[in-house]
Amino acid sequence: MPIKTLEVIRKRLEERPAELRKLRESGQKVVGWTGYNVPEEIIYALGFIPIRIAIGGDDRLVEVGGRYASSKNCVFIREIVGVFSENEDPYIQQTDILAFDATCLQNFRAAEVIEYYFKKDVIVLGVPRNFYWEEGKEYFGKEADEFARLLEERAGVALDLAKLGESVALYNDIRKTLKSIYTFQAAKDNVISWVEVFDLIQAGDLLDKKEYLSLLHETLAELRALQHNPIIEVDGSEGRIFISGSLIPRGDRKLISIITSVGGRIVGDDIWTGILPHLDLEIKEISPAGVALGYLNRTPHAALPYLDLESDRRLKKLHELLGEFKAQGVIYHTLRYCDPFTFKAKETKDVLAKSDIPVLEIHTEYAGSDYEALRTRLEAFVEMIKIKAESAAEVIV
Amino acid sequence: MANTDLYEYPQELREEFEATEAIQFRDGSQATAADVWHYMTEVAPKKYPYAYTQRKYVDGRMSRDIHLPSAIKHNYLLLTMNDRINKSRENGSPVIFVQGGQSVDPYYAAGGIALRPASVGMWSRGRHEGLGLNEEVVRRHKQKEKAYHAISFEACQTAGYETIQEGGLPVDMVAPFTCLRCSDISYGVEAHRHGPNKTLKLMNIDYPMRHQADKQWAVEYFVQNLRRLTSQIGKIAGREVTDDDLSKEIRLHNEGRRLAIDIAELWWSADVPPTNGLDRRHILQMGGMEIHGDPSASLTILRESKAYISERVKNGIKAEGVVDKPVRLFICGSCVRPNDFRIEEAGAIIVGNDNHWSDICTLVKEDGDPYRNLAHAILSYPYEQSVELRAAWTIEQLKKSGADGVLFLYQWGCNTQSAVARMLCDAIKRDTGIPTMIIEQHEGGSEQSEQLLNRINAFIEMI
Repeated sequence: MPIKTLEVIRKRLEERPAELRKLRESGQKVVGWTGYNVPEEIIYALGFIPIRIAIGGDDRLVEVGGRYASSKNCVFIREIVGVFSENEDPYIQQTDILAFDATCLQNFRAAEVIEYYFKKDVIVLGVPRNFYWEEGKEYFGKEADEFARLLEERAGVALDLAKLGESVALYNDIRKTLKSIYTFQAAKDNVISWVEVFDLIQAGDLLDKKEYLSLLHETLAELRALQHNPIIEVDGSEGRIFISGSLIPRGDRKLISIITSVGGRIVGDDIWTGILPHLDLEIKEISPAGVALGYLNRTPHAALPYLDLESDRRLKKLHELLGEFKAQGVIYHTLRYCDPFTFKAKETKDVLAKSDIPVLEIHTEYAGSDYEALRTRLEAFVEMIKIKAESAAEVIV
Repeated sequence: MANTDLYEYPQELREEFEATEAIQFRDGSQATAADVWHYMTEVAPKKYPYAYTQRKYVDGRMSRDIHLPSAIKHNYLLLTMNDRINKSRENGSPVIFVQGGQSVDPYYAAGGIALRPASVGMWSRGRHEGLGLNEEVVRRHKQKEKAYHAISFEACQTAGYETIQEGGLPVDMVAPFTCLRCSDISYGVEAHRHGPNKTLKLMNIDYPMRHQADKQWAVEYFVQNLRRLTSQIGKIAGREVTDDDLSKEIRLHNEGRRLAIDIAELWWSADVPPTNGLDRRHILQMGGMEIHGDPSASLTILRESKAYISERVKNGIKAEGVVDKPVRLFICGSCVRPNDFRIEEAGAIIVGNDNHWSDICTLVKEDGDPYRNLAHAILSYPYEQSVELRAAWTIEQLKKSGADGVLFLYQWGCNTQSAVARMLCDAIKRDTGIPTMIIEQHEGGSEQSEQLLNRINAFIEMI
């Protein structure tokens, strides 16, 4: 049975660019942000309209962006640059200010390229590589203060901590609700798919936050009405797939559509356009630094190097999520020239092999030329994990 | 390869060379010019035949400007790298892998030896004796392939993984600055965590970004990084590192930096190039005090080179192999460069480069808190500033060096210099009208591809 609220959300997304245009005409400003540790609550509390710049899947824009950056930048970054070059995306057109962070150095370079060639007003938030040092956290806190100051200048008002507190409460509620909804997609006899939830998460990048929260609550209520007690368990030979690795932004559905077309059921992810950024974000202090530290203390993004394999929280979280969603195999997705994830591909495979978890690395870009090659590999992988699951079930019987 | 194929230093040069300065090492020992001559004419040709190749276009071919002592002494220091570094380690100096284009004052202040990738490569190469050129190239490729398997085939900089983890090179610590110059390096450091060498210490010296030198908190954070670094090296070396140790080291390294700046200005002031492009680069890079793994040795050669170049400039002596009025090229980008011999054959000469030069040009204040002074200087490297500031500094170098054209080269797989290439070239063209060309290079072979050289030759011809 279709979830009615999802239809409402799709419609609201269609209407959103025109709505943003009107809001800007009435004096509101839109901040487009991209990165992995941008404290969005600060943007919101200052009265800006935050939208996330996460666009992919268009090989032509990758080509255009590469002319300004280079052919050696990851396809996501190249597409972002390409989108600003063409300025035809209805959301990009509405951005007044850009906020980038330096978690990924290529993201930092993209900020420079966009600022230089397209004369955009760009604020950059520095992010420490040694994010687990107290000194690194202190540096990041100061960077967050500076980030807030630069936004205040543009907003023409000082940041009101009461408003920041309200913003944090709103975002916390969004994160909590998303987490609850996410459980339903992985459940037995699920009434919502992972793909639908993935789209739902990404809708939050663009919609008004209060309205979004309200729509999430309605979605959750519908789900609860349809499935009172979602239980996550393996059901026969589903081929339960977990997606890890490079981000999959809106517009890029190649890998996802192939997995589902060959009979795989996606039940979880730890990608940065999926559920991961919404997990484990605990804000202990209502201040720019306090909010930013909440972000930095989450499961770290792979662009931030961590030098001890045994205590790596990213890998621990991966294991935790695999267990929680009872995944039977991992698709490790790496985008062309996405160093944060490609550099760790073999290591991740080795680590998961110790836990007897099958992994398939898919190294791809936005061109469609590898579609059939990927389909063959993914079909074989899904078939293999189904057979493995069936064999395991027979042994248990 | 038969010995007849190998280059031999002319014996008639011996007397002249043996009258030159001895190389003074950090541990107080020295190599006289006679020692160097003996090693380079008797020992090294047998140990490292590949270094004596007669093939003109091979990367790493030694300079033939044999009347310039540094041309021989620099290669002596490279070819003795294995013996010297092993000896220093045995005497208690830990070896730390760093990256190119960064200053190394704090590493030496703490009693360590800082080696950048090229130097680590030389050390590793020195452990394999008797190899001809082709054998050496194959060995190197096989070694690098191991890193691609263990990390990623898209990796450019692998932080020495192939030599340290797969090749057993006894490096004690991997602790480079993770600055913008290279985006791969911090992932390369991280990759060591899954290697078999479990005793290796790892640290990223975290270089903050975006107006970093103007932010007090960024300078403070970098100070803390430097303090952790010296403390960690000191622990390995078994000594306590004082502020005075760093102050002394800064003064020593400033001398190297000043000498390099003086030599560059002398070189650029000459009506005709006093050295070929290869020797110019080697001498000026010594100002970074890191290529030989012994700052004192580099300093000896720098001092002597200044006198030689001064004399050549005064007497209007032109380097051999350089045409009368060569096209003057300035190189931007990192890690890779065109072949100097081919450039000079085409009627041009390389007069400068931004990579490495950016840190060498940055003098460190000598009075006050040495950590703060060093941090501020490092965060001020022109190469690591916003594109407009970097362009302004590059243009200043272009004017000083009388450059006619700019080549921006970057290595295949380099995400960060590649991304800045067009911006920098556009800014230079906008402000000076100097022609520029961007080239992606694959450091795969011993000789550069004809396609690459054709493009460079066409660029030179156009100028």
